[in-house]
Amino acid sequence: MIRHVMGIEGTYPLLLVVWLAPLVGAICCGFAGPVLKRGAGWLASASVGVTFVAALLSWADATAVRDGAVGAHQALFAWTHGIRFGLLLDPLALVWVLVITGVGFLIHLYSIGYMAGDRLFARFFAYMNLFVFAMLTLVLSDDFVGLLIGWGLVGLASYLLIGFWFERPSAVAAARKAFVINVVGDVAIMLAIFIMIARIGSAGFGDVFAAAPSLGNALFPICIFLFIGAAAKSAQVPLHTWLPDAMEGPTPVSALIHAATMVTAGVYLVARCAPLWNASSDAQLLVGTVGGLTALLGAILGTSQWDIKRILAYSTMSQIGYMIMGVGVGAYAAGVAHFLMHAFFKALLFLGAGIVIHTLAGEQDIRRMGGLRQRMPLAFWGMLAGVLAICGIPGFSGFFSKDAVIQGALDHGHPWLYGTGIVAAGITAYYMFRMFLVAFAGEFRGSLPPARLGFHPEVHAVHGHDEAEHPPAWIMGAPVALLTIPSVAAGWIMAGRPSPWERLMSLQFAVPAHLHAPLPEAATSALVLVMVAAGIGIAWVRYGGHRSAEEAADRLRAEAAGMPAILRTAFYFDVAIDALIVRPAQALGTFAARVLEPHVVDGTVREVVHVTRWFGDAVRSFQTGLVRAYVVVVVAGVACVLLYYVLVGGMTR
Amino acid sequence: MTQYVALSAVLFFIGVVGVMLRRNPLVMLMSIELMWNAANILFVAFARTWLNDAGQVFAFLVITVAAAEAAIGLAIVVVVFRDARHVDVDEARILKG
Repeated sequence: MIRHVMGIEGTYPLLLVVWLAPLVGAICCGFAGPVLKRGAGWLASASVGVTFVAALLSWADATAVRDGAVGAHQALFAWTHGIRFGLLLDPLALVWVLVITGVGFLIHLYSIGYMAGDRLFARFFAYMNLFVFAMLTLVLSDDFVGLLIGWGLVGLASYLLIGFWFERPSAVAAARKAFVINVVGDVAIMLAIFIMIARIGSAGFGDVFAAAPSLGNALFPICIFLFIGAAAKSAQVPLHTWLPDAMEGPTPVSALIHAATMVTAGVYLVARCAPLWNASSDAQLLVGTVGGLTALLGAILGTSQWDIKRILAYSTMSQIGYMIMGVGVGAYAAGVAHFLMHAFFKALLFLGAGIVIHTLAGEQDIRRMGGLRQRMPLAFWGMLAGVLAICGIPGFSGFFSKDAVIQGALDHGHPWLYGTGIVAAGITAYYMFRMFLVAFAGEFRGSLPPARLGFHPEVHAVHGHDEAEHPPAWIMGAPVALLTIPSVAAGWIMAGRPSPWERLMSLQFAVPAHLHAPLPEAATSALVLVMVAAGIGIAWVRYGGHRSAEEAADRLRAEAAGMPAILRTAFYFDVAIDALIVRPAQALGTFAARVLEPHVVDGTVREVVHVTRWFGDAVRSFQTGLVRAYVVVVVAGVACVLLYYVLVGGMTR
Repeated sequence: MTQYVALSAVLFFIGVVGVMLRRNPLVMLMSIELMWNAANILFVAFARTWLNDAGQVFAFLVITVAAAEAAIGLAIVVVVFRDARHVDVDEARILKG
């Protein structure tokens, strides 16, 4: 049933180009930044573009089936304990590589405009290329150790880029938080690898998946640890709290890392390990449930935010919840498809938001926007396409993939997740249109005094480098325009029976033979559409129509004031983590510093010192320094021994 | 046989007393040499009596070690003399605890 046996050894040098081009770019931008100046942006974009083209050229080989194995393989080298590194490009990896480099290329171009004038322009692109390299390492590795290396490196790149504007304490704190939570996941994956090596003697994908059915009671812990890693990286409940804070990074970073690619690494991991999950229905239930819960929670939290990027962050979390739910229940093709569509429309939304933020000199609070439709037509139309896509309006990309995920939950026998998905889809439509209408409809409110809008100006973040409002450069507009196309139209690859997408994915994932579908897809789509229409309708009633700036401001202030505490604190997750983990850890540290260190550790050492000194004092008088006295002692000792033998008679044979 | 053992015992006793009572390190080294050779006499005497060559071999080994010991001992004496301009062992007691 596992169609891809990945123990194959191959030689496919093009994969090395795919893999290493961004690393070369990162090294050049990192070390030759002052020389390259503006060229660093173009060089970095070119290195990602080269990778994209190389990956496209590999398409035919990546989807070719030879000896029952699909994909192109390039062996690298062997390490200890039978760990062999290699690169594998199969359809699953291909989808990720194309998104990482394709969307990544557009975001690199966009960054040239967005980061223009930043003091650390070249360093930014070095980090971005490093991220792309790390992400490619993650998805191209053919064993878990290589995957973990990429996993750690993307965490590092994410850390560096969230904290890119390191003069801001909030950015540094957010970067640290993201890194720490991600390390929780790294350690979990490491534990899973330890179990694999102990039980199977290998961490290669092929070996592990071949052994999956015979793992017995080791299978569930492996799945759990892998999923903890996936949850930390993909911001699944309860390890999601770093993602909204990660919006402290520059907006292109949010678009590339915290929307399109890195945060979907968890989806990749679950999809990659499909044979493990297929063998453990308990693990599948857990993954699906966490995904569904995250989809719902993220959507609910998205309704309560005012920062445009935090709204998008919660929306990302929610959409990844859908993907995790899809791959968790076994609807791999649907989950991966939703990753693809989401990468398009969420990158589009973030880049559109970036134009808004850039033009408004760093303003991120939607209460201080309004009426942007006339001022920023490109951002308006781009984001409208993105919003319609994420809501799942028929014909747009999100419609195909989200409905497939929701339908997949039902087909694989999880009616509760099915219901959760439908409800979350309605809430998604509500909060996306809330954001869209508050920001783009009505009249501009940015010139109103902040108090009128009910918040204190010092608490909201400011864009790193801009002082004045200015229109976006063409290089920021082009990626937005280009991303609009797949956001609208990419869904059609999932149309038809069997669709092109299904044919591609069937190379990777065995299609389940018999699924009971209690409801046809059309009924699911209808249910979702009713919810979506309701969500849009409520948003329209509350935020739509034409109101004066003052009237809208009063309404928004009232909404902010009436926000229940449970939403303002994002379901108390930060509070709970603080109380359950951070405070006990600090208390333990204080205990160690005040009690353990001085009294136990130092105390022991001090006691040893005391005893030694006392003993030394006791015996030092023997050391007279008088050689002849020593001789007397030696002779006396020998005499005693002799006396013993004479008296007791030990000398006799 | 008895004479050999008696001679050896006497030599050894002279050596021990010499090391214990004399303060000149050169004399002390000579006394130690006496003790080595008291042991050698026993080795050789018993080797001849019991027709076992191991004793003879051991005597050579002892001579070798004694030579090394004497070399080190004399070197120490020279160093002490250079440092303190005297060779009185009772005065050289900086290692007193």
